[in-house]
This record gives sequence, structure tokens and C-alpha cells, in this order.
Amino acid sequence: MGEAYRFPLRIVDGLRLEKPIRDALLPARVVYDEDGLPRKLPRYFYEIPSWEHAMSTQLSDNFALWEFIQTDVREAAPLRAFPRYVPCAITLLALSLERFREAVDTFVHIAANGGYRSPRHAMSGPATPHSWGTAVNIYRIGDVFLDDRESIERYAAMARQSIPGAWTRPFGTSKGQTDDHLHVDLGYVLSMPRGAPEDHLGFNAERRAS
Amino acid sequence: MTIQAAFVGSDHDGTRLARVGGEMPSPLAQYNAAPRAEALDALHLRLDSLERKSGARSLAVAVYDTQTEVSFRRHADRWFHAASTIKVAILLGVYASIHHGWLLPHSRLHVRNRFHSAVDGQPFRVLADRDANSEVHESIGKMMRISELALHMIATSSNLATNLLLDLVGLDTVQRALDDLGVDGIDIRRGVEDERAFEHGINNRVSADGLVQLLRLIAEERAFSPELSREMLGILHAQEFRNGIPARLPRAVRVAHKTGEISTIAHDAGVVYPPNRKPYVIAILTEWSPEAAGRSATIAEVSHAVYELLTGTEVRGNG
Repeated sequence: MGEAYRFPLRIVDGLRLEKPIRDALLPARVVYDEDGLPRKLPRYFYEIPSWEHAMSTQLSDNFALWEFIQTDVREAAPLRAFPRYVPCAITLLALSLERFREAVDTFVHIAANGGYRSPRHAMSGPATPHSWGTAVNIYRIGDVFLDDRESIERYAAMARQSIPGAWTRPFGTSKGQTDDHLHVDLGYVLSMPRGAPEDHLGFNAERRAS
Repeated sequence: MTIQAAFVGSDHDGTRLARVGGEMPSPLAQYNAAPRAEALDALHLRLDSLERKSGARSLAVAVYDTQTEVSFRRHADRWFHAASTIKVAILLGVYASIHHGWLLPHSRLHVRNRFHSAVDGQPFRVLADRDANSEVHESIGKMMRISELALHMIATSSNLATNLLLDLVGLDTVQRALDDLGVDGIDIRRGVEDERAFEHGINNRVSADGLVQLLRLIAEERAFSPELSREMLGILHAQEFRNGIPARLPRAVRVAHKTGEISTIAHDAGVVYPPNRKPYVIAILTEWSPEAAGRSATIAEVSHAVYELLTGTEVRGNG
């Protein structure tokens, strides 16, 4: 990524997207997490024009954009066609995962529906960091399928160690637990890169004279 | 060439009798004539004898011939554990969802091996070594198309594909599709490999009548639309387990079918396409003691006997 490199995806304001897309992304909307706490959803998104763009856009050395947008038929219908949208914080997630990748020193496989999924995805339920683009479900690391206590807890510890502040879902079969993948998230991070078209506070602030 | 059939009544456990006339003698007449009442009686006796000889606890047969409109029924309303024949009903539910526009055949679905018991919602998995298909297990974590999963569910009887599809469309969708199309004799209550449900007596049930009703709808292209019916039929034609209904039929005979087998159950139900005539629909349901052998051979023998009766031909050897 040399000096002339420019990130290839356009940033869009979710509030200015067409209504069917807005109704699925719920940009800047407040939703409630599993503990009943209010969480504000992302407003700014990268626009992905095509699957080819998703395939060719590297977010880090070992993670490409397509790995984070594999959602199935349970995703809201308007979001299953291109252009698609992913919260800007997805780049932070990819960089964090790169550290985890270095720690485990082998391939890290993100599950379908395990990267970004919208708040209207049938699996989303209460607010989940997956809808912020800051969570992944990892089902396989190298040749190891994460479907038992030993593998999930071992790699969860490595994730927390390699990604400061990361949260991992505990092993188990009860609500809020996991027994067939490793869930890692950075929390409800909102990202507004330079180039975001409007002020994120929700009003059109006048530019201050320099 | 004109073959005319006139139906004159019914007899013997709902069996309809037909008299066939024609303007001129036809070399195909033997394939088109309805079996005589004595022949149907003889089939009943033959199946009684086969049931005793094979050691089967129960043998139920239902047949509907679309050529002559003759039906044959033997314990056809008796309920059995459905085993994998329930997958035909789930196929119907999937295509109901496609028909309603909720799904597309090329829609993708996350392959995840985690399901909830019908008893108490406890999670369970489909064990790979108990599943006839490994391809779906190899896709865990990834996605597969609905059409691929439907094919695996039927052709290789993938339990994982079955539960994924049932999880997606829901029990209610499947049962409603059956009800809306007027199929009785199929009762779906859970996915497959749900051991806790099995222990609690919560099982899918079918009767031979129920399966024949369902397969008739598909064979006669009345399940949602001719196009969707043909797609379902195409999937049933891909069946890879052929040691039941097709085993003792001539090689030229195509069979679209679904088998089902667990410790005490062996079934096969499908649509049989003899050459030069319309197809017939058949369901052969059997129950056994767990140690019993000869299940597939018994089903094949029933199928063979029905084929000979309806086509008026004698099939020797292995076809």
C-alpha cells in the first residue's frame, strides 16, 4: 500500500440512502442490547459496488472485505443485492483480526453471517456488534473446527490477549453463550473516517473560519 | 392410437376396477389395461404371504396408477414412523416457500450444525458419522444454495441438509403446505436426529396413503405449479439409494423416489415410469424388529409384484 494508495470504497451517509436500504440499515437509530442498554447504530458506511470489489479490496494483509459480508437468505432483502454497505468500523475490525492472525499463525475463517449483518437480519435479535461491523464469528482456525470447549476457550484467550479490549462470548449452550464458534467483538464502535460527508452529530454545522 | 378406459365400480379395500376397450387391438394394450379384480386379490394374498415369510411386523402398500386410475391399498392408512420419507414433505415445504416468493432456489443458506430439540429447545448436532452425506458437513461455516441442499436432502438423504432447510422454512410452513394441498396422512413434528424428541415419543409419522397423495400431486404437476412440480420431481429422480423400489424393475424404468430407514423401519415411496405408459405412484412402508434382515429385498419384491400387475409384463432376474 504505497503513497499513492487510496482506499477504493466510497463513504456514504446512511441517512441519505434510499428508503428500503435505510429501513434495513437503520442508520444512527438507537436499538437495545441484550442487557437493555441503548446503543446507537452506525451512520456512515462504505459502499461496495460489486462482489468483484469485495473480493479485491484487502482490509489487511490477510483479510479481504468479502470475508466480512457473507450473509445468507436471512439478511434483509434490500441488502442482499449490490451495492451493499458495511459500517466504516469494519477496517478497525480487520486490523484487530490481523493481530489475532499473527498470534495463531494460521488461517482464520469467518463464518457465514459471522461478519457484518444488519439489524434487520433474522439472526440479529437485540443489538449486536455484528451490526456495527465490529464482531466476527470464527468457525475454524487452521484445521481446527471450533466446536468444543477446549478449542473455543483456548482461542478466546488468545483473542483477548492479542486484541486489547476485545470481548469473547463464553462457551456454553445457554443464551449468550456459544458452542460452535468463537465470537470476538470490539464493542459498539462508531467510526467516522475523514471524508464522511456530514457531521456525525446529526446536524449541518457551519464550517468554522480558519 | 386410442385406448379407452371405462370405470365401472370399486371393490376390495377401495380398489377401483376398470374395463378397457379399444377401437383396434393394440400392442400397448397390455400396458394400459387395468388389472382384473382377481389379479388384485392375488396381489393381496401374495403380500400377506410375503409379510409372513419376511418376518416384517407390518407391511403397508398404497398404489395409484395414473394410467388406469386404479388404486391398490393394503393397510394404507396405518401410521408409521416416517424415517427419511418425511424429507419429501420438507421438500414440499421448501418449494412452498419458493412458490410464495420467500425463497429462491439459488438463495444461499449458512451451513451450521446446531439445532434445537422439539422437546425442550436444547441444542443438538447431526453426527457426521451417522449421516449418509459428507459434502454438506464439509461446508460447515460456509453457505450452500437452497437447491443444492434440497438435492442432498433427497438424493443422498443428508440429515444436515434436512435440518437446515426445515429450520429455515419452519414446521408450520411444511404442515400448512400439506394441508393446503389436501394431503392427510403426513404428520411433521420435528427435524431428524433429534434423539431427545425420539425418546419422548415425538416423531414424524406417515401413512402409505399420505405419501401417495403427496407424490401424486408432484407427479401430476399439481404441487404449486407444473414448473415447481417438475423441479421437485427432478430432485426425486436423483435418488442414489436404489435397493428398494427400483431394484427388481427393468433398467429402462425410471423411478423418482425417497427411501427411509431407521432401526425398526424401512420405507420407499416414489413414482415409477414404465416405458410406453403413464407412471404409477407407490408407497411401501414396513416395520421390523431391530435385528431383522431382508428389508430392502422385501420392498423390492413388493415393487416387482406391483410392476408386473400394472404393466402386465413378467420381469425376470434383476431386470
